[in-house]
Formats: sequence, structure tokens, C-alpha cells
Amino acid sequence: MNQRNSDFTEVVIEIKDFSAYYGPKKAVKNANLKVYKNKITAIMGPSGCGKSTLLRSINRINDLLPEFKVDGEILFHGKNIYDKDIDIYTLRRRIGMVFQKPTPFPMSIYDNIAYGLKLIGVNDKKEIKEKVKWALEKAALWGEVKDELEKNATRLSGGQQQRLCIARAIAIEPEVILFDEPTSALDPVATQKIESLIEELASDFTIIIVTHNIGQASRISDYTVFMYQGEIIEQNFTAEILRNPQHEITQQFLSGRIG
Amino acid sequence: MNELTNPSKASKKDTRANKVLRVLSYSISAMIMILFLLALIPGLKYWNIEFFTQFPTDGMKAGGIFPAILGSFLVTIVALAISIPLGILLGVVLSEYNLEYIKFVVTILSGIPSVVYGLFGLGLFCITMGMRTSILAGGLTLSLMVLPVISSSVYETMRAIPRELREAAYALGARKSEVIFEMLLPAVKKTIITVSLVSAGRVIGETAPLILTAAVFYATDLPRSLLSPAMTLPTHLYFLAAAYGEKARWMAEGTASVLILFVILVYTIAFVFRREGK
Repeated sequence: MNQRNSDFTEVVIEIKDFSAYYGPKKAVKNANLKVYKNKITAIMGPSGCGKSTLLRSINRINDLLPEFKVDGEILFHGKNIYDKDIDIYTLRRRIGMVFQKPTPFPMSIYDNIAYGLKLIGVNDKKEIKEKVKWALEKAALWGEVKDELEKNATRLSGGQQQRLCIARAIAIEPEVILFDEPTSALDPVATQKIESLIEELASDFTIIIVTHNIGQASRISDYTVFMYQGEIIEQNFTAEILRNPQHEITQQFLSGRIG
Repeated sequence: MNELTNPSKASKKDTRANKVLRVLSYSISAMIMILFLLALIPGLKYWNIEFFTQFPTDGMKAGGIFPAILGSFLVTIVALAISIPLGILLGVVLSEYNLEYIKFVVTILSGIPSVVYGLFGLGLFCITMGMRTSILAGGLTLSLMVLPVISSSVYETMRAIPRELREAAYALGARKSEVIFEMLLPAVKKTIITVSLVSAGRVIGETAPLILTAAVFYATDLPRSLLSPAMTLPTHLYFLAAAYGEKARWMAEGTASVLILFVILVYTIAFVFRREGK
């Protein structure tokens, strides 16, 4: 995919002077970033640079960690998600997430997706069935599993498990999907499938993907953010940042000297 | 370096150790099996319809053990009906609300000798709460005894579920109750059933607490309610051996075999369930 600079118009998420802490440790320092509708934004950087923390702040999943604190704002359609009147359950339904390791629930393939649907109040059996099929098709998994929907999801291969997790995330039709290094536990073939899937999903969803793989960012993302030691060092259209990195640290990372 | 350059030597040593361990484990299993069979076989010849349906008569020289079977059944049902739901609840709460120090107390409770539970039940249920010697008091006492066992197992199973799975459920917008009841508990359902069956096996064979809280030497009537005392299989066995001597030996052997049969049955079902779970 290449840069489609022209239609970077609608901002879905705006991160403003945002910092995140684990106890006394500051993991993200004054981040500023705009995420555009139906674009793939990659957050790239070496391990421990704070990219996952930033991502996990966007759906407030890090609230589960006892010592986690934040400063600044993350605006979702102009509304700060850390405001007191925000319902985090609704927020998480609108901002889905796929994790580093595949996380199929230990139940059938069908039930994995039905679980999310029931959470959003879909109880009609026929409707659930249709949506399960729709989500599996969208996640390019339907053809492989359509005859064994009752099989335990933990018995699928790693790549299939990850596509199931993507299906589960999109079944409840969020606006944004966060991917936290979704291919780091997968082999090259499975990785390639997930990457092309993510590219396709960008026409329906806004996507933010964390990766420490430069190749992955260059292959699929429209916009790239480079983080180092908790700070956003540089951000630009992906092709631009790869061709012409402005900062020395970015250059070092891209040339493989750090990371 | 020797091991690196000469792998055959190292692996030979390894197979020898394996052999010793295998022989050891087989002989231990065999010994347990023999004990089971020794308790089961001598009583088999007394099994007939009368033995399973009649009251003991003629100073334990004739008749059957029906009231003891019924009593054991009732006490077990009462104990499990209380301890299984409470045990699951307690295990879940301890695990999902990070109450590790209470878990420590529960672990200690599961190590207390059963006769101590019997004394506690005698004081609390029979005397203070006025249940006297009864099926209810015995069932309650046994439920207290297995409660820590069940909740510990549920706790450990819940803890074995990786944090990532919980996060994945929360990331779909699930509330805590929806994570616990619709994802975690269904995931550990099989383990919970197995644990319940193993507890049933323990409850059926428990003697000391029942002597103190529920059992009588001999009943002429079937229990009218849960507040009646009852005969049970293990206490019947104990009384026969302790008070009646040689003339009731046949009935003791028969009772032992019935008890063992029930225990084997329950554990077999548990074993099959565990197998299917894998």
C-alpha cells in the first residue's frame, strides 16, 4: 500500500500531551499524534520504547494494571476517553484489540465469536449465526473452518487462531482496531496472510498497529510513528519516513544499528 | 564433554533411571490396587438383594445394610449440595479479587484433620444450633471439610488461565461478571466437575466427623427428615469392627466392599471426565 496523503482528512483519535506511568516509571512521555479514519497507522520502535503502552492506553485496557496512571488526553471523536463520564465498556466495544499472542478462548470457534456478540446484546440465534459467518469471511478464515465451527478454537494453528481473534474483534463492528504486534508469534506464511488481511480491513476500519518490524510497517502502513525511550521521535507518511528520516535515532533504527 | 561426544553413554544412563522410576511407579500402583481388591473381594460373596435392601437383624448376624447405604447417600448429597456451589464461588472470588492471604488460610484449613471438623460440627451444628445428631449436621460438617479442597482447586485452575485471555475478554467490552461467568467458568467446567467428583469420593468415605455429628449404631426406622440421625457406610463399618467382633465380620466385609465400590465408581467417572477434558 502506498501513501494516500490526499484523503488524510477525518481525525478519529487525537492524542494530546499524553503521558503514561507504571507506578513511578514514565513509559510514555508527552505523546502527540493524530490517527486518521480508514488509515493504517504504525507505531514502530525497539522493545521497551512505550509503543505497546501507548496502544493499550487507547482502549484503556491498561486500566486493569494496578499501578497504571495517565496524564494528558486521548480524544476519540473529540471526547477525552479518560474523562470521568466515559463508559469504558462502550469505549472498548468501539475500539477493538488484537494481541501479540493469539488469545482464543478455550471454547468452540463459533462460541468465541458469539461471546462478543452476546456482550453487545445480540441474542437472536439466526442473527448470531449470520454475524459469525460474516466475521469469519471478513477474517479470511471461513473457508478453512466452516465445517468445524464446533471444534475447540485452541486446536487451530497459530495463524488461524490469530485470524479467529481478528474475526472476534470485527464481529462486534468496532470503528478502530488496535493490533499489538499481531504477527510476532507467527511464521512467515501466517504473517503474510495477517498482513494482507489488515490491509483489506483498512477499508472498513481505522487501524493502529504496533510493530518492531520495519518491513511490516513499510508493507502495510500509511502513516508511521517512531518511538524511542517513551517519546515519539518522529512521525510522517510511511514512505516519507522510510525514505527520508529526519532524526539520527530514526536513521539508526531504520538501518538496524539500534533495536 | 564426555556426554557431548558420546551421547549413547548419556542416554543409556537416562534409560536406566527411567526404568527404575517406571518399575517404582508400577509397583506403587499395584500395591494400591491390591489394597482396593483386598477390601472389595472378601465382601463380594455377601452381595445379594437382601443385603442391599434389608435392615441388619439378629445383632448384626443377618439382614442387610440398606439404611447405611441410604444414610451415606443423603449425607453426601447434603454435603455436596452446599460445598460445591460455595466452593466454586469462594475459589472464584479468591482468584479474581486477588485475596492471596485468605487463600493461605484456606490452604491451612484443607490440612486440618477431619476429626477436628467433627468436633467443630458437634459444637456448632449439633449443640449450638440445635440440630442434634442428624443427617443435616453431618452433611454440613462434611461440607465445611471439603469446602477448602474444592475452592483451592477452583482457585488454582482459574489462576492457570493466562492473563492475556482475561484481557482479550475485557478488550471486547466485557464486564468483570461477564468475564468470570461467560468465559472463565465455562473454560474450567470440566475441572470443576472432576473436583466435585473427587470430593464426593472423599465425603462418602469420611468416618470420624460423622461419628460425632450424624451417625447412630443402629436405626430401626429410616430417617424421617434431614434432622433425623442415620446409619452411614463408613460409621457402620467402624461400629461393626469396634463393637461386634467376629460374629459381624461378614457384614463388615460386605459393607467395606460396597463402600469401596462406590468410591471406585466415583473416581472412575472423575478419571473419564479428566481424560475427555484433555
